Amino acid sequence: MASSGSPAVDAPLVVRLDGVSKHFVVRREKSLKERLVNFGRSRRHREDFTALTGVGFEIPVGQTVGLVGHNGSGKSTLLKVIGGIIAPDAGVVERRGRIAALLELGAGFHPDLTGRENVYLNGSVLGLSRNQIDEFFQSIVDFSEIGEFIDTQVKFYSSGMYVRLAFAVAVHVDPDVLLVDEVLAVGDEPFQRKCMDKIRQFQSEGRTIVIVSHSSDQIADVCDRVIVLNHGHVVFDGETGPGLEALAASFHTPPPGPAPEEQP
Amino acid sequence: MTDIARLRADRIAALPFERVEPTAGIAQGTSHALRQLWRYRELQGLLVRRELKARYKDSSLGFIWSFIRPVMLLLIYYFAIGYFLQAQRSIPVFGIFVFAGLVLWGLYSDILVAGTMSILTNAGLIKKVSLPREIFPLASAGSAFVNFLIQCAVLIAAVLVFGQMTFTWDVLYVFPAVLLVMVYGTAFAILLSALNVYLRDIQYLVEVVMLMLFWTSPIVYSYRMVADVIGGTWLEAVYLANPITVAILSFQRAVWLPSPSVQSQLTEMGIDPSTMHPADLDVRILVLLIVGLLLLWVSHRTFLRLQGNFAQEI
Repeated sequence: MASSGSPAVDAPLVVRLDGVSKHFVVRREKSLKERLVNFGRSRRHREDFTALTGVGFEIPVGQTVGLVGHNGSGKSTLLKVIGGIIAPDAGVVERRGRIAALLELGAGFHPDLTGRENVYLNGSVLGLSRNQIDEFFQSIVDFSEIGEFIDTQVKFYSSGMYVRLAFAVAVHVDPDVLLVDEVLAVGDEPFQRKCMDKIRQFQSEGRTIVIVSHSSDQIADVCDRVIVLNHGHVVFDGETGPGLEALAASFHTPPPGPAPEEQP
Repeated sequence: MTDIARLRADRIAALPFERVEPTAGIAQGTSHALRQLWRYRELQGLLVRRELKARYKDSSLGFIWSFIRPVMLLLIYYFAIGYFLQAQRSIPVFGIFVFAGLVLWGLYSDILVAGTMSILTNAGLIKKVSLPREIFPLASAGSAFVNFLIQCAVLIAAVLVFGQMTFTWDVLYVFPAVLLVMVYGTAFAILLSALNVYLRDIQYLVEVVMLMLFWTSPIVYSYRMVADVIGGTWLEAVYLANPITVAILSFQRAVWLPSPSVQSQLTEMGIDPSTMHPADLDVRILVLLIVGLLLLWVSHRTFLRLQGNFAQEI
């Protein structure tokens, strides 16, 4: 399965990262009062946290890349940097084609609006035009199996219905690059199978996919390539099998460079 | 590789690379941001509609509440201040006068209060989806504008009932008045929404400052009364430097001053109607508009600078 989506050797690149670093300053106080009270001692009230250090790689068209690492290794931050949700402090992120980030199903769903209104809102958030949503609408409703409840406010939906509708909108976005963060871990067994089928269909259509997941089985199942992160450094980049071994090893090795502070 | 895949690869190979964070020149960054905003104009419309729909969610009267509040305000100011405090004696047709000011003020304060909160209230989207984030304060401005139009319907009805409006070209002063409020309101909303992410006190500060600004604008009293007290001093210059003051003065000039009953009552009181606003109103409008557009640009640039860290700071 893993080799089916392998791109040709001369495939063009879609995502290019070079020397990307991201470093957070976590301030403990947010209000004016707290800042005034702690004025002058503010050093003590900030925490520096390095999420990414000098990350660089290239992704060719049609590849499915798994980003893995333990909690706090920077993989979700990296995905957000690729998606343009977080700006890097240093380094270059370049990409082309239409990017869709599935970091959360139903981002932007408003509980007081009906399913139909939310399909338009969410589709628009994900970059579809009104005409495209009109065109896909029936197919979205069919895929979600929501049926007549499409005109009910989504706050009355069960969590399963909510997720199905959100996923149905997401898969109708026609992305060249799809960024996926853990969203495949939701829903029941048949729904998860539906998700995986859709991912395979996307692969056969030559779409590039970047997945963040904690499930080694899932990564082994769909990915052509694995990038292992450890405390913001890329410690492995290559084939899936050795990659997952490197991941297992990274749980036991101390982080490279100076020890970072506790993650908030 | 399937055919679909090959076509996709060929299409992508022909596209230029885009940098995620354009660090190009100042003007280039702005034009890039404007193109992005244009691309998301449909979403903008949907967000405005979402704000309007969610405002009176689940209430049976729904949108009628948008009328009830201004009508109540109109009645309170008309009777309590117009008659009991006898403002009617120095400002004829006081109901229309005060309501015109209130409606325009409402637009400004809606944009600022909702706009300042807009980034925080849309935290879910900002943390998860890559979008031009300016659309959130802009959507607040859009929904405030729709609300303003509804209140204008009440105003027009009131003008027709009380004021016996006759047509003059002065009615065109409506446009610079609304434009001034939109430009300054949006500029401050964009700037404050970004600052509010880093310093949450801004939202409370805005409420207090708005309370003060309300009374430093000629809404429940006339410019004439101000000119009588501080006319010709540097204080008057400061007073007229407030863009909202100038916007309200030109709004009153458009919808209140041309009414024949206002004109005749003012003449009876021995007041020249043209002294109800400063003589150089046109110049002031023009200067403030230019300054406002500059301010809008500066606050947009600041917003673009600050937005890189929104996703972590929220």
